[in-house]
Amino acid sequence: MAILEVEHLSKKFGANKVLQDISFTVSKGQVVSIIGPSGSGKSTLLRCINQLETADGGSIRVCGMDMLQMIGGKAVYSKKKTLREIRLKIGLVFQNFNLFPHMSVMQNIIEAPVRVLKKSKTEAVSDAGELLKKMGLSGKELSYPCELSGGQQQRVSIARALALKPEILFFDEPTSALDPELTGEILKVIKELAEEKMTMVIVTHEMEFAREVSNHVIFMDGGHIIEEGDPEKLFGDTQNDRTKRFLSRYKNNF
Amino acid sequence: MNTDDILNVSKILLEYLPNTLKLFALTLVFSIPLGVIVAGLKRCRFKPVSWLTNLYILIMRGTPLMLQIVAVYYAIPMIVKGAKDSAAASGTELSGFMQSLDSFMRSDNYMIIMLVIAFAFNYAAYFAEIFRGGIESIPVGQYEAASMLGLTRRQTFFRIIMPQVIKRVIPATSNEVIVLVKDTSLATVIAYAEIMLKAKQMMNTYSSIIPLFIAGAFYFVMNAIVTVAFAMLEKHYNYYH
Ligand SMILES: Nc1ncnc2c1ncn2[C@@H]1O[C@H](COP(=O)(O)OP(=O)(O)O)[C@@H](O)[C@H]1O
Ligand SMILES: [Mg+2]
Repeated sequence: MAILEVEHLSKKFGANKVLQDISFTVSKGQVVSIIGPSGSGKSTLLRCINQLETADGGSIRVCGMDMLQMIGGKAVYSKKKTLREIRLKIGLVFQNFNLFPHMSVMQNIIEAPVRVLKKSKTEAVSDAGELLKKMGLSGKELSYPCELSGGQQQRVSIARALALKPEILFFDEPTSALDPELTGEILKVIKELAEEKMTMVIVTHEMEFAREVSNHVIFMDGGHIIEEGDPEKLFGDTQNDRTKRFLSRYKNNF
Repeated sequence: MNTDDILNVSKILLEYLPNTLKLFALTLVFSIPLGVIVAGLKRCRFKPVSWLTNLYILIMRGTPLMLQIVAVYYAIPMIVKGAKDSAAASGTELSGFMQSLDSFMRSDNYMIIMLVIAFAFNYAAYFAEIFRGGIESIPVGQYEAASMLGLTRRQTFFRIIMPQVIKRVIPATSNEVIVLVKDTSLATVIAYAEIMLKAKQMMNTYSSIIPLFIAGAFYFVMNAIVTVAFAMLEKHYNYYH
């Protein structure tokens, strides 16, 4: 079953064509990695799907619901109510966490379940406790984000996104803001989610990780999808020159 | 001046302290909410509203508060006088509205009401700029995270943005409040019976500058209290950064 269907998506910033004719599908339980050089449009793609940016053309469907459609040659967004319903099926983990600094770890996680899903506080707290345990953060409930390491903050932000029980979870370079020795703990958490068959789309520069965790890889450059397919094939023996060049540059640099 | 005189002057000034405090407190009570509203209007996406708000802020901050006090205080008497003159000239009666304005400007509370109007609108302009700066200093990531969690705009503002803005505007607000303590003395320009006015009168009575020093000590102590209060508030918000 397709959780996400993107077709012919395009987006411009002024004259800068950041996304051009992007099409791909994510089915339930799939883990998709998106790789590509800086400035290739990866974040913009995620932001368009997450309604943080408005696309110029194409269509997006989430869990069978139309978010964006082409009608008479024009890109038309669905009604507010539908967009909101879709939003609650999607989670996004930011590069720089974006935790709420004035709220404790527990408050950060239960805010949306209580205020948006109208869960009882007791239920939300107990669910959050489970999530924190899973993230290896038991005992940090009352800490504030500024008292945590970057890796711990990122795990809180993953727990916060999971608290809404999304159908699909997006990660935009979840380890890029972290010290190298802290990336491992985040990658481990994502791997565990993959084992539980959580549907995920991960933008990352961790090539080894992408190869290991994902069952589909998309390589983007200059706003286009250049190549996509099986990780072993794409990382192992790609026939595409641009992919080859990108991957070899990564091997040399890291 | 001997010790008895000094004690006497201090006692008299203490009697007029409530008037100073009244102006100070009423100005804060009205100017802070007004400042929040003005900050919101300035951020309004309908451009004419934001331009008019800008013009208001420009005038309030660009002209002396003392001038604004005099203008606000004498506006109604001038209007009423004009109406009376033309009524007398044409031999007609003063309109009901003008009559009620006339009795309003003779009422006991007229002076403090006009003072609070002048002070509150002036300080609201300064507070608005502080609050707007505070709101704009919150990273967009906070709005984006809130929107990803499905929070409404209202919830985002009141639950996520405002608490963080309050912490950020405390130091600048504290500065403004300290200035307000001293600015209450501008009310002498329309002879409002507060500390400064009385100190000046007693300076003449005693032919001594000491009453001014005593008044200065009053303002100094008030601001010491303001400073400590804001330091405590700042400390209260120190649980995160
Ligand atoms: N808000 C914006 N306004 C204008 N240009 C933008 C904006 N966001 C991104 N861009 C441009 O879009 C292009 C793609 O950026 P981005 O999606 O962040 O790439 P990536 O995540 O792959 O590094 C870049 O050229 C960037 O400068
Ligand atoms: Mg990016």
